[in-house]
Amino acid sequence: MSSAYNPSIIEIDNVSFKYFKDRELINNLTFSAGNGEFIGLLGANGSGKSTILKLAGGILKPSGGYIKLWGKPLGAYGNKDRAKLLCYLPQLLDINVPFKVRELVGMGLYPYDIPPQMTVDEAIDAVGLNEKSESYVTNLSGGERRRVFIAMTLLQGAGLLLLDEPLANLDIKFQVELLKLLKELRSRKNISIIMALHDINIALKFEKVMLIKEGRILGIGSPGSVLTKAMLKEAFDVNIEIKKSDTGTYISYENNF
Amino acid sequence: MSKIRISVLILAAVLIFLSSVFIGPRIISPFDLSATDREILFSIRLPRVVVAALVGMALGASGAVLQGVLRNPLADPYILGISSGASLTAAFGLLSGIYFFGRFTIPVTAFIGASAVSVIVGVLGMKRGKLWPERLLLAGIGLSFLFHAALILLMSVSTDEGLRRAVLWMYGDISLADWSMIPSGLAVIAAGLAVCISRAKALNVLILGDEFSHSLGFSVNRERLLLFISIALMTSASVSLGGIIGFIGLLMPHIARFSIGADSRVLIPVSAIGGGAFLCLADLIGRIIMPPMEIPSGIVTAIIGSPYFLYLLRRKDVLSI
Repeated sequence: MSSAYNPSIIEIDNVSFKYFKDRELINNLTFSAGNGEFIGLLGANGSGKSTILKLAGGILKPSGGYIKLWGKPLGAYGNKDRAKLLCYLPQLLDINVPFKVRELVGMGLYPYDIPPQMTVDEAIDAVGLNEKSESYVTNLSGGERRRVFIAMTLLQGAGLLLLDEPLANLDIKFQVELLKLLKELRSRKNISIIMALHDINIALKFEKVMLIKEGRILGIGSPGSVLTKAMLKEAFDVNIEIKKSDTGTYISYENNF
Repeated sequence: MSKIRISVLILAAVLIFLSSVFIGPRIISPFDLSATDREILFSIRLPRVVVAALVGMALGASGAVLQGVLRNPLADPYILGISSGASLTAAFGLLSGIYFFGRFTIPVTAFIGASAVSVIVGVLGMKRGKLWPERLLLAGIGLSFLFHAALILLMSVSTDEGLRRAVLWMYGDISLADWSMIPSGLAVIAAGLAVCISRAKALNVLILGDEFSHSLGFSVNRERLLLFISIALMTSASVSLGGIIGFIGLLMPHIARFSIGADSRVLIPVSAIGGGAFLCLADLIGRIIMPPMEIPSGIVTAIIGSPYFLYLLRRKDVLSI
């Protein structure tokens, strides 16, 4: 019933993937993301989080199964049309090129012949970098750079954001700010976000999480149902205690170190 | 700010171009042309300055594109082996003594060599139907060594005066330029420039990385191939017109980036104009510094270019692409 009101933006059906002659990294993966959903993707290093996002973004081609974007096979979209619907932001933003903030954010308009409603200034404003719009990206801090790229993805205007570890290497302050920004955008523009992340404590704040191990889904659903002691042991091979306090749920690392 | 800088650059380029035409061992007044002046101006000076401008433009633009495509600030259009291949075929063309193409033997054989090597480097740089920057770079370096060795071998066994001349010419001498090669050279360089300027947005995103390019709606393979073709066209035509002229392809994009930023839509034209102006200036200096002797412009560009490049290198964010 709910699918009628909340249509799937992206459907991943029985998808497998392997690099040339290599073993399979993703095995028979099936999930979908609905309009306005904000999904956290969790798993140990090498579990396949990035690969899943790249498959969903069309950067990698599945070796089996199919992926549909708004009900149409992902491969059937032209490059520009796909770019207007989904946006992938890689984990590594190793930019050593002296682009100005304004120039870089403006690249979000490249898929368009007729620019959409949002302007470069509005996108820069949305991530709070107005004062730095003429600065070189190479002179910004890690957190500011991340926000520049978020502004670029906003301008790109896609309804589905695939973010690979956007919180990596950010101070806790910037992590919180970025999450608040993404949540606000999600509710304001009804965009869907699938985001890989590492921090289980942050994942506990999500509405929906997906736990991955060796290219398979261990669990998908609310953090309370997925991030259990047994599941986390299975996914990360460490003993983690889930604790509750007045301020919410958090994890404790027990006697691991 | 950058608009002012671009205007200054264009003005300076025009001034340098005009000075190169009228200043030389003999100073020509545009307002009082004698018959000799006219002859010098139209048969010698003008074609030479036009060749210098074209070659400099081709090198500046192809350097800017190549550094972006390879994501490597040390890339120079010659690194792909196109120029050493051109030298080798030109030397062969002369050594064979056949002179198939008459006085066009050097430029035509050089262009044939350059184009053939571009194709070979392109094929070697491919794997599973994709052009890989690292493979392209290494294939170019590998081929360069091979061609250099073959050229040295040829020179060491040859007593041909023509070969010596060819090799000298290859190392950057535009004093023999005349009108005959200009139309075809202009056409090839203009085609290369048109391709890369029209793909400047794609170059911007390729600099960010393949995943960004894909996410922003570009076909990474197609764009990289088109940009490589534009580099091959411009480099081949420039080697064929003016031999191997050091530093412009490596240096000019850095100077341009330093003054107007990295946006390829501006960077490519600015590197081209800067490269053209710089080579005209180097040629002018080479002509007037100790007449009647001329210093090949390739040597002047290196002598002016190296210290300036080293100075830039001391400054922080220059070595980025």
